[in-house]
Amino acid sequence: MVCLSQRSQAKFRMILAILILIAVELVHPTVSCKNETCSQLLRHSLRLTRLMSKRTTELLETYKTSQDFADLICDMQMDNVPVSTVSGQTISQRILSVYTHLKEFLPHMKTVMEQQKDLNPPTNPVAEGLNRMITHVRHIAVRVNCILEILQPNIPIPEPAESPTGIPHAQNIFQQKAYGCIVLTRLQELLSQAVQEQKSLKKGKMCRKSTKNGS
Amino acid sequence: MGSSHHLLVFLMFLHYAVGFTNNCVKILPDSSSSIVVEVGKNFTATCHLLEGCAYTSDDIEWRLGNDSIAKQSYHRINETSVSVTINISSDMNAWLKCTAPKESLSYKPKIIYGIFLRAGYPPLKPKNLSCIAVQEDKDISPNLNCSWDPGSRNPLIDTTYTVYANVPGTVLTHKADCKQHLARFCVVNLETFPIHMVLKVWVEVKNALGSERSELQSDSTYFVKPNPPLNVQVLTEDKFPTSLMVTWKHPIDRTILKLSYAIRYRKVTSNVWIEVPESFTRGYIESFRLQSLEPYTQYVVQMRCIGESNSSYWSNWSPSVTESTTEAKPASAPDLWRIIQPTSNSRNVTLIWKAPVKANGKIRFYNLSINQNNEKFESHNITADNLSQMYSMELPAGKMASIEITAYNSAGESPKATLSIPRSDKEFPGVKDMSWSVRDEKLQVKWTAVLPLPHPLKLSEYLLEWVKIPQSVHQKELPAGWQRVPKNVTVTTLNADLEKFKRYNISVYPIYKYQSGHVWHFQPGRPVTRPAYVQQGPPKEGPTVTVTKSKKNSAELTWEEIPLDSQQGFIIHYTIFYAIGNTKQWKSETVGPNVHSYVLTDLASETDYVVYVMASTEAGSVKGTDCTFKTMKYGDGEVEVIVVVVCLSFLFLTVFIIMICLRKREVIKKLLWPQVPDPSDSSIAHWSPDFPIKADLPKEDVSVVEVDVFDGKSLCEEDKGVLPLKKDKYLSEEHSSGIGGSSCMSSPRHSVSDSDEGDSGQTTSSTVQYSTVLGSGYKGQTPSHQPPAFARSESTQPLLDCEEHPDHLNESQSRSSYFRRGRELEPGVLAPECDGGSLTFCPVQEEEPSPVAEEPPASALCYMPQKSGYRPQ
Repeated sequence: MVCLSQRSQAKFRMILAILILIAVELVHPTVSCKNETCSQLLRHSLRLTRLMSKRTTELLETYKTSQDFADLICDMQMDNVPVSTVSGQTISQRILSVYTHLKEFLPHMKTVMEQQKDLNPPTNPVAEGLNRMITHVRHIAVRVNCILEILQPNIPIPEPAESPTGIPHAQNIFQQKAYGCIVLTRLQELLSQAVQEQKSLKKGKMCRKSTKNGS
Repeated sequence: MGSSHHLLVFLMFLHYAVGFTNNCVKILPDSSSSIVVEVGKNFTATCHLLEGCAYTSDDIEWRLGNDSIAKQSYHRINETSVSVTINISSDMNAWLKCTAPKESLSYKPKIIYGIFLRAGYPPLKPKNLSCIAVQEDKDISPNLNCSWDPGSRNPLIDTTYTVYANVPGTVLTHKADCKQHLARFCVVNLETFPIHMVLKVWVEVKNALGSERSELQSDSTYFVKPNPPLNVQVLTEDKFPTSLMVTWKHPIDRTILKLSYAIRYRKVTSNVWIEVPESFTRGYIESFRLQSLEPYTQYVVQMRCIGESNSSYWSNWSPSVTESTTEAKPASAPDLWRIIQPTSNSRNVTLIWKAPVKANGKIRFYNLSINQNNEKFESHNITADNLSQMYSMELPAGKMASIEITAYNSAGESPKATLSIPRSDKEFPGVKDMSWSVRDEKLQVKWTAVLPLPHPLKLSEYLLEWVKIPQSVHQKELPAGWQRVPKNVTVTTLNADLEKFKRYNISVYPIYKYQSGHVWHFQPGRPVTRPAYVQQGPPKEGPTVTVTKSKKNSAELTWEEIPLDSQQGFIIHYTIFYAIGNTKQWKSETVGPNVHSYVLTDLASETDYVVYVMASTEAGSVKGTDCTFKTMKYGDGEVEVIVVVVCLSFLFLTVFIIMICLRKREVIKKLLWPQVPDPSDSSIAHWSPDFPIKADLPKEDVSVVEVDVFDGKSLCEEDKGVLPLKKDKYLSEEHSSGIGGSSCMSSPRHSVSDSDEGDSGQTTSSTVQYSTVLGSGYKGQTPSHQPPAFARSESTQPLLDCEEHPDHLNESQSRSSYFRRGRELEPGVLAPECDGGSLTFCPVQEEEPSPVAEEPPASALCYMPQKSGYRPQ
């Protein structure tokens, strides 16, 4: 009985270890990060961020043209819209800030897209562009998350809550248009900063260091 | 209430009991639908008899469809259960039934239960999964076209294919259900293509027997197929005749997909593409210079692109762009050749040439320089616009010529081509054993080189020349084609488009070179020429045959040679077909290709024949036109022989007859000319001396005396005694015998007395009465016993005076031509009488010296026709 229990315990430990490993792998949000090397990850992330920055600029231009908006309106203050400023002292903190802001922008982008669908016909290029932009911003967030995993593998990445935008529903059309433009403008600013941050990472030999570390 | 309750419970029990009895069997496994079973596997089903069933497991029978399953497959578990195991085959879609048969007269109800088995295969794992997202405008299409190989095995049961796509790290998974049976492709819509993300795609195939899945995970660019480069242009550069500049635009922004490019080009005249090494175009560039091209050559250029580091699919090739490089000066010499046609005391030399192979531009003109006997003879600039580049000149047989030619284009002058033409008597040796054959519709020529070569000759190359026979008079192309082959080659294929069914003269020239001073001279040797066809065909027309001589049993046929243009091949033989009339029973004779006349023998005489001649090449035969002739009835000399034989026969017959006549002339004479009575023996003859012969008689007193011959007796003899007796009576009664009116005369005549009564007294003394002996036995028809009748003439002239006046005989003969009928009298009979001085009748043919007439008696025996109708008295 004792022997059996020892054998059982050994098996149990082994199975448990496997199960824990599987569970960790399943719940781990950065599971996709291991499919690419650090340099590939950083390169793709930078390209994607750069592409989205460019696309956001183009989309903003399209938005302004279609809404007949002046730049002044897009730059005005609106409290409920996330700020585009990347904060933090270290590169990891700034990347984390980028990640957090990207996550914060997603509900606002959805709101703007819904408003645009209501305001304009279904073939509205802004709505279509916004739809694609939402997907791509999500993808950038995934990439940045992977970068964060490399930058600070031992620190859990805080996931911002999917909180509501805080934007009152009773916005008039002008307010909706202004809101959309402000969101896109700030998103464009955020992406530009994200590009810069990632370039800094590239220059900072992040991948070489991690490679040396055995990542 | 209580009793009714019990009754109800009893009825329910009864119903249950009956129902239970009817459904007291069940099969496990059971299913409301079909049970899918895998082909090739064993399937076991167990039949359970429920409690209360009137049967035991021994009564159970398994049936598959309508067939009973063998008992060996049963496995009796207990009294109420029995199982069966069957092997599933691919066509096994049937009911598996467990039943207990109702025996006759048995109270037990029949029980039966079944499950439907559907055979199938588990799905195969899809192979070679690939997915493509094409470029759409400036972005990547969200539609991912996936395809795979589902395998060839039909699963036999419903099988679904589903494609899934997911960006790892995100929760959203896109899927597409593929509706087709054994689907090979499917399109999954990703809504937004995940640029610069990892994309995971898998296809899952499921059916009732299992599921399989194939997976593909890669960077999303791996799935992208970009558009070809945009606005591809090819630019020429004036100063660089060997290069072309290629420019293009990126088809997609580098932020989406950074591309590298591939360029390929080929000559317009070639189908072989030359690809620029990828390392040259790896960068993110928008132009490239193609180098080491040929001047003045049209090139076709295409481009395509791929994600850098081959991270995507290749795009399609861009549309072709054609551009030409600029001109450079000719890099090779013109190809110079000559055709020499000897004339009576000179040579007609036609110089022909081809443009340089590496002309590097459009040749504007040629400079032709001719030296004779090492002295400059003439020089010409000949424009290259002429369709036929040739120049003709006379070259005396005793002179040699050296020709040089240079080609010019807009960029400059070509190297010089030279050719020497020796004196007629100084030709260099030719090749040996030249032959040709056809291979792949081309002429392959083979020859043997001439070795050793006399010093200082060196073999430079060989030249093969082909000339179409017969040559067209108004041809615009060069009169001959030629090609050069290296000196170490003795077998080559003519790379000329020779016409089928046309004869060509193929010549092989060795081209020698020798050094004179510091100049190399190139001179062709003696040619060896053979006629050849690249493909032979049956002749266009058959020979026209004519019959030149037709005889009794033979006929000579002649036909013309088919014109060369119509021969279409080498005539290997002629076949002569001939038949009698319409019998169609053809006989044939085959003769060689050089025979153009033939004598048909063993023909039937005087028969119509049809003949034609068929000409044959190795590719077929063609018959000529029919010719009809008739053989003769007689052969050579037959007619002549017949004529000669007939003539000879006639001649012999004639001679024979003549001989007979000569031998039997007496008999014939008697038959034809019976003996005329000799007047000399007549009594009248005795009167004749009483009257002067030469008395003048009136011409009117001519009487014709016709003397009939009595058989065997002459008139003279018979009437010797009678006539004197009747003399007076005749005279006194003045009766004329009517000689003149006798039937022998053409017209009646009056007797002398009748016609001239007034002179009767005067003439009485001198008139001799001529008597005509009339007898019906003339010509032997009168019997001798009949009394002769006499007719008397009272003429005073004696009938014949040859007795008394022999000198007058000739005269009297000439005058008495009327007396023809006494000519053939037998001379032997009458001659003695005439000689005896009696009157004679003289024949009229005094001119014909016939043998008969030569005999004196004969002339005395003939009657003289009386030309003048009378004789002088």
